[in-house]
Amino acid sequence: MRDEAPCLTFTHHLTPPIAAGPYPLSFPVSEIPPISLPTASEEDLVRRLQARDESALTLFYDRYAPALFGVISRIVKADEVAEDVLQEALVKIWNSFPAYDPGKGRLFTWVLNISRNLAIDKIRSRQHRVGTRTQGLDDSLAAQRMPAPDSFRPEHIGLQEIVKTLVPEQRQIIDLLYFGGYTQSEVAEELKLPLGTVKTRARTAIKLLSKLIR
Amino acid sequence: MEDSQTYIESGILEQYALGLLAPNERAAVEAEAARQPAVAQELASIQLAFEYYADAHARELPTGMRDRVLSKVLAQVALPTPVAAAPVASAGLRADVDALARPQPAPGEAVVRPLAAAPAPAGRSRMALAASVALLLSLAGNGVLYSRWQNADHELVAMQGNQNRLAANTMVVEKKLGEIRQQNEVLRDAEFRFVALAGTPDAPADKARVLFNAKTRRVYVDVQHLPAPPAGRQYQLWALNNGKPVDAGVLTADAAAGERLERMKDIASAQAFAVTLEPVGGSASPTMPIQAMGTI
Repeated sequence: MRDEAPCLTFTHHLTPPIAAGPYPLSFPVSEIPPISLPTASEEDLVRRLQARDESALTLFYDRYAPALFGVISRIVKADEVAEDVLQEALVKIWNSFPAYDPGKGRLFTWVLNISRNLAIDKIRSRQHRVGTRTQGLDDSLAAQRMPAPDSFRPEHIGLQEIVKTLVPEQRQIIDLLYFGGYTQSEVAEELKLPLGTVKTRARTAIKLLSKLIR
Repeated sequence: MEDSQTYIESGILEQYALGLLAPNERAAVEAEAARQPAVAQELASIQLAFEYYADAHARELPTGMRDRVLSKVLAQVALPTPVAAAPVASAGLRADVDALARPQPAPGEAVVRPLAAAPAPAGRSRMALAASVALLLSLAGNGVLYSRWQNADHELVAMQGNQNRLAANTMVVEKKLGEIRQQNEVLRDAEFRFVALAGTPDAPADKARVLFNAKTRRVYVDVQHLPAPPAGRQYQLWALNNGKPVDAGVLTADAAAGERLERMKDIASAQAFAVTLEPVGGSASPTMPIQAMGTI
């Protein structure tokens, strides 16, 4: 009768519920924690991709997908299409990686070109079906005049800097060249400008951009 | 210097950086860059400018996209590399699109475009590597899950032990509560008469009470103080009816020690109660001297 009630405290926390049943063969992608940029250096990433380390693709995604998706979606103008193109680009980057030579250029330039080219191919094939080429340019010029969509990072200084630095005529040419996939002569033709003017404006714009980096 | 400046001004480096040149033109630009540092520097600067431009257009990615894209890509990558699709037969303008993904030919070298992306053995070893990576991930995952499961199991056992103790404890408390409630009912019942049993001159310190309900014939004993019975002996309660002792039952050790009110045998009629020390089990009639006694 003297026994006292044991002091019961529920301090034991069960670990989060664990799925019963057979364990998955590998982790679902969502279990791979996103890794912030500074943890994966470009050299490290290149080395791991060269070693055919598939987990490096996740690092690659976390590091480059926002920029690649930004460029691709700017070119194809629809997020669903951009997502497909980004996926294609990642597969292509993986498959072509043995051909990448770090001595000949930075990884970002290389993957940007692959992504841009796939995206431009996408709109080219679409325009081909539709028929006219001018359609695309008109779209592109219309997009040019539209304010940046909300999904563009408002805190992103880069875009604001560019808007501040380039005059609209310069930005229009750079956008047509970079997001429209046009040659300088095609731009000259479309904008009814002498080819020399287009070249000069493009060069000036690029010079201004490279000054922003320093 | 003059020479390189003219070359830079021609706009061909921008064309190169934008991927607008045919393979032979690309090779020419690379040769020029290798020959003139000013050209190489200008080219690097242009490429960096475009990187900056692209980065400035970086977007927040739509939710769920990471899982969707990565799982599809990893699934495709795990398959053997398909033979590279023949380049789309587009006009010269975009013919170099795929060339970008291939090794950029060193200056002077012939442009060699491999038709197949990778020979079969590479595909197989890639598969093997993918399988190894998957196996390692799986092993690591199993290890983590196993240790989590073990921990959870230990904690569960500890919890169940605690729960059992708690349940046992609750039963004890409930039993005790039931007894106390019953005693309380008896004590508060006006029908019960309290009969104080006082120690005889032989044992003056002894004191007990009998609670007797003449209607229900119930008898309870409530010991205040009785010495512990010697070995082989037990206290027995007697009801005295018209001078004749009637057995009212033996007192358990608990009752004798005064731990609780104990119900005794029902008694139809009594004028007094007495307690004797009898051999264990009790006697049919008292064989020992009375230890305490009281009249109603």
